[in-house]
Amino acid sequence: MSKDIFIFIECKDGSIRKSSFELLSKGREFAEKLSSTLYAIVLGSGIQDITEGVKPFADKVLSMDMEALKDYRWDTFTDALGYLIKKYNPSLVFGASTITGKDLFPRLAARLEAPIVSDAVGIELQEDGIKIKKPIYGGRIISWVSTQNAPTSLITFRPNSFSIEKKQGIGELIEEKADLQMDSRINVIKVDRGTSKKVDLQEADVIICGGRGMKGPENFRLLEDIAEILGGRVGASRAVVDSKWRDYEDQVGKSGKTVSPKLYIGCGVSGALHHTMGMDTSKVIVAINKDPNALIFQYADYGIVDDLFNILPVLKKGLESLKQEA
Amino acid sequence: MNILVFIKQVADPEARILIKSDNKSLEIENKFNLNFFDEFAVEEAIRLKGKIKETKITVCTYGGKKAIEALRTAIAMGADQAYLIDNTDLDTEDPLITAKILAGFAKKEGFDLILCGRQAIDDENGNIGVMVAEFLKIPHVSAITKLDVVDEKKMLVENDIEGGRETKEVMLPALFTTQKGINEPRVPLITGVMKAMKANIPVIDPTTLGLAKEVIDKNASKIRIISYETPKGRPPVRVIEGETPEEKVKKLIQLLREEAKVL
Repeated sequence: MSKDIFIFIECKDGSIRKSSFELLSKGREFAEKLSSTLYAIVLGSGIQDITEGVKPFADKVLSMDMEALKDYRWDTFTDALGYLIKKYNPSLVFGASTITGKDLFPRLAARLEAPIVSDAVGIELQEDGIKIKKPIYGGRIISWVSTQNAPTSLITFRPNSFSIEKKQGIGELIEEKADLQMDSRINVIKVDRGTSKKVDLQEADVIICGGRGMKGPENFRLLEDIAEILGGRVGASRAVVDSKWRDYEDQVGKSGKTVSPKLYIGCGVSGALHHTMGMDTSKVIVAINKDPNALIFQYADYGIVDDLFNILPVLKKGLESLKQEA
Repeated sequence: MNILVFIKQVADPEARILIKSDNKSLEIENKFNLNFFDEFAVEEAIRLKGKIKETKITVCTYGGKKAIEALRTAIAMGADQAYLIDNTDLDTEDPLITAKILAGFAKKEGFDLILCGRQAIDDENGNIGVMVAEFLKIPHVSAITKLDVVDEKKMLVENDIEGGRETKEVMLPALFTTQKGINEPRVPLITGVMKAMKANIPVIDPTTLGLAKEVIDKNASKIRIISYETPKGRPPVRVIEGETPEEKVKKLIQLLREEAKVL
């Protein structure tokens, strides 16, 4: 039986997403331990730059460069990835639990009757197979699961689950074509790219999150400035989104996005369970709140008890001069 | 028009959850709700009923006997009919099995449109809706934030895509999963609650949905739970002391650089 690994590569604005490199790095580790082949799967139209970009990270690059794959659609992408899986029989297919991954992988799993584990945060190799780590109940329980009774397993991982390691691979390019059916029952009428933000919230290394303590939408400028210095993103608590100070796409928490950045800074966030469920896997958590009893301090590594309007301007200055030194 | 809404009863986010001594099962405090994202699906179905004549809303779940409570919530909101597909002794971790059963129900019941929440807040998988659509060979749109009726055969929906938002026209029959933002789910009125308490909710044996027992029993599962554990807690917070904001910030930046190494 094949032990080969497929990594489904995703692009954003013409470049390879960070989460794809994370998966390639983890896939490389597994391929070495299993003595198997690591394939990077690139689907799209006009994708030479992308295939070149992943070559150093994979043994082989399977590229399907077709007009029908220009934009992501579940119909053509399920056909294309399904075709490649049937042809190459990988044992593992990794994807990211992004908007695309969450749409494509379940459809593909049903098509192939393949087991799927979604939104995982880790994977380990054991003597008798794999062991996948997946938080459930808002991260209050960690489940370890395995797949069985099937040749191919699909797994989507939360962005920021693995570190990126640069490896010098050869990345032999294999060009593929398949018969792709565009489902005529779905007709895209309009695409609005205006709402797009530079850094994806789930992929951001740094998230600076505002709660009700920010007092109003105009004060989020303070957070935007700091996020820009750190190359991060601004997040928001549910209370903030419900008050329409920020868009829903910024919401961190149980009913919003689950994030695990390297650094999370909560400003005026009380730390309701609803919110902490969406961020408690962050590597380092800083809380700034004038209430020393705020729940957020129970989740934080570092805390500042002070009025955030005193702290944030000073923090901005401090980070600016740090950046200039570097 | 026949609208099916698939729902799930889930543990309340604040419910106590304990890992049993076998490390392979959970004990959950008796606090359950209709899944947060499914409320949007029920609400949207009720709104459609207001726009399209002769619309029937049927809610259904694959769950234990207890899940009848969540079905009653949906009826209290305004759904017409509810069914429980009983999973006693068959409860599964494998979404393929659940999706097959729900697809089997949909085939038997007939439908023009299927709605369900984008994911359950307990297992946080978000697989079932999309899988049901594939098993039924119908189009789906994930996590819709807007739904408009073009006519009885066509809907206009909006959802977020990578880096933007897309508007699509979709021919029915189709399946949509609902995202927060699509509507504000109503709180049931007392008259609705009364109606729901009296509603007859048939219990369906999953083996009557055209699926062999071997396809849906525990041996068919392609997912195996190895163990559960509680996440490692963080050490207590280090509160940064200082006389002035400048002092505190200076110390924080130093710690983030030298100790945490994240700057």
